[in-house]
Amino acid sequence: MKIALCSSFMPFIRGGGRNIVDWLASTLTEAGHQVEVVYLPELDSPPDILFQQMMALRWVDLKAADRIICFRPQAHLIPHPHKILWFIHHIRTFYDLWDSPYRDFPDTARNRAIRESLIDVDTRAMGEAKTVFTNSKVVSERLKTFNGVESEVLYPPVFEPERFFSAGYNDEIVCICRLEHYKRQHLLIEALSYTKAPVRLRIMGTGASPDYGIALQQKAQLCNVADRVIVEDRWITEEEKVEHLSQCLAAAYLPIDEDSYGYPSLEASHAQKAVLTTSDSGGVLELIQDGYNGYIAEPTPESLARAMDKLYRDKNVTEAMGKNARQRLVDLKISWSQVLERLLA
Amino acid sequence: MKVLIVNNMAPFIWGGAEELAVNLQKNLVIAGHDAEILRIPFQWEPSTRIPSQMLLARTLEIANTDHVIALKFPAYLVRHHRKSLWLLHQYRQAYDLYDAGQTNLPPGQHGADIRKAIAHADNESFAESRHIYTNSEVTRQRLLKYNGFDSKVLLPPVNDPEVFTGGESDDYIFAGGRVNSMKRQFLLLQALAKADRRVKMIIAGPPESPADTQQLHAIIEQFGLQDRVKLDLRFLPRATYVDYVNRALAVAYIPFDEDSLGYVSMEAATARKALITTTDSGGILGLVQPGETGWRAEPTAESLAEAMSAAYESKARTRQYGEGAQALWNGLGINWPETVEALLK
Repeated sequence: MKIALCSSFMPFIRGGGRNIVDWLASTLTEAGHQVEVVYLPELDSPPDILFQQMMALRWVDLKAADRIICFRPQAHLIPHPHKILWFIHHIRTFYDLWDSPYRDFPDTARNRAIRESLIDVDTRAMGEAKTVFTNSKVVSERLKTFNGVESEVLYPPVFEPERFFSAGYNDEIVCICRLEHYKRQHLLIEALSYTKAPVRLRIMGTGASPDYGIALQQKAQLCNVADRVIVEDRWITEEEKVEHLSQCLAAAYLPIDEDSYGYPSLEASHAQKAVLTTSDSGGVLELIQDGYNGYIAEPTPESLARAMDKLYRDKNVTEAMGKNARQRLVDLKISWSQVLERLLA
Repeated sequence: MKVLIVNNMAPFIWGGAEELAVNLQKNLVIAGHDAEILRIPFQWEPSTRIPSQMLLARTLEIANTDHVIALKFPAYLVRHHRKSLWLLHQYRQAYDLYDAGQTNLPPGQHGADIRKAIAHADNESFAESRHIYTNSEVTRQRLLKYNGFDSKVLLPPVNDPEVFTGGESDDYIFAGGRVNSMKRQFLLLQALAKADRRVKMIIAGPPESPADTQQLHAIIEQFGLQDRVKLDLRFLPRATYVDYVNRALAVAYIPFDEDSLGYVSMEAATARKALITTTDSGGILGLVQPGETGWRAEPTAESLAEAMSAAYESKARTRQYGEGAQALWNGLGINWPETVEALLK
């Protein structure tokens, strides 16, 4: 089949929304399909430029494809008789983040009108699709609330998940993801100072600026846990990630209210490791069940410390939760074969 | 610098322009820049939709980009404050092919209006460009004649010069590239029949039609050339093609009146191979200096046979011509470092 994967992008900003597209392209090609990846630039601000860009998308001619699959907004506006959406988020400042500091334009009558029109256009474009999938329950709920559109959750797998394995359980809890304040690595370091067990912490990844990494190092000193924390602020290769996940005791991932379960928790589950998260982490809670494949702590150092102690002391339970973590992926049907089956149905 | 290469996308079709864009990207990265390719879908049928697709390109917001290098119509209509063109071709059906009566634009006023819109948009885009380069003298002349813009010819370099190392020669003349009546491989075989019997020949490349294949087999049969000719008629793996070039006694390329030097002859010169061509072959004559880099035969079997025999009779001289061809080619300064430098000026 000839399949065009359509998404929007910001030139020179990689990762994030591009993974799901590029990985699906590889998987479909492997399965013998002809794949064309169509990335068109999209700028969400100022509000006045939205509509001309939407017009541009209406002019895109992909009739050469048997079907198209659309991801990041406003790619879902591209017309096609067999359009499938795998919707990963709205232009959120006009949707759920309207009443938040992330909206960088004023709440004027003009912008409210733009918002209304945008929602109307989105709803109509979704109506053109044969099927609407989302990457999480959170996004499905937003589609229902704002657009009145029903959708099916199709969890995005990680690329080549068979790379991940377990080589045992040492005394480290690892957190491998971007080093950003909203990922709250600082909370993990604070928690470590409240633990009673000699559990260790390994924080790896890099962020937009070096400041947060430096702050984490200082926090480790301040909390007097520097001898039990490793902070590596740099790009971590896939091989290193596989290696550390294979050996760790458990993984931690506690972003603030994330849309999806997040690739870090998925990767840990493939490596048969329990995942420590918090009650306000959003989509992660779709994957992690407290006491089954990890712990859901309160977002406080004390609560996290208690969970960390349990992970260290009840090692048999921790290992069993690691096994359950992998089983949970099977139960939720998080796999490329499931993705292909649903998208090509 | 963050450099965005902007090209067309004919969905599910991959050709020379796509290959060139990828190699340009690769060489921008080698030169220390960040480079990405934006491919804008374009269908020229039905031609009545060309204006909307021009608007599509014109409407996109190119953010987070320091410099744009655009290659084709209508992709080069994108707006950016620092845009240079490396024009592979304009929409010829609105220009020289229109004059030749070979246009796909509708007849009458409608077609005339579309043609005018194309010319206006082109002129505006050319006027706002920082520099305009063309890929051949022919493209330069057309741009000058139809739009009144002068440009500088920037010939596309060999994509992978490092593999054309030359080396020990066998006894065969090599003829590579697409096989069709314009490339006149049949004439090479007719010439071989009249040349020194010790000269052999390899003809390799994808045939345009079954008739082209049949014709070559018929000539081999007719003159009893089976022992002296190898036909390898397919799209060759790059390594196979490179090996044929590197081990050749000399390389023959005798297209009828071609615009460009031709990759085949550029690659042969890189590999220090003497060149055999004909006086009516066009662009390649720029690389063939009689008595220095090869032979300019008349487009007849007799004249070509003489050149082939000469190549065999004095291999020392043939080798010397090969050295000459490489020296002449290198002197043209058609290499990636200088090309990238010009395109970023």
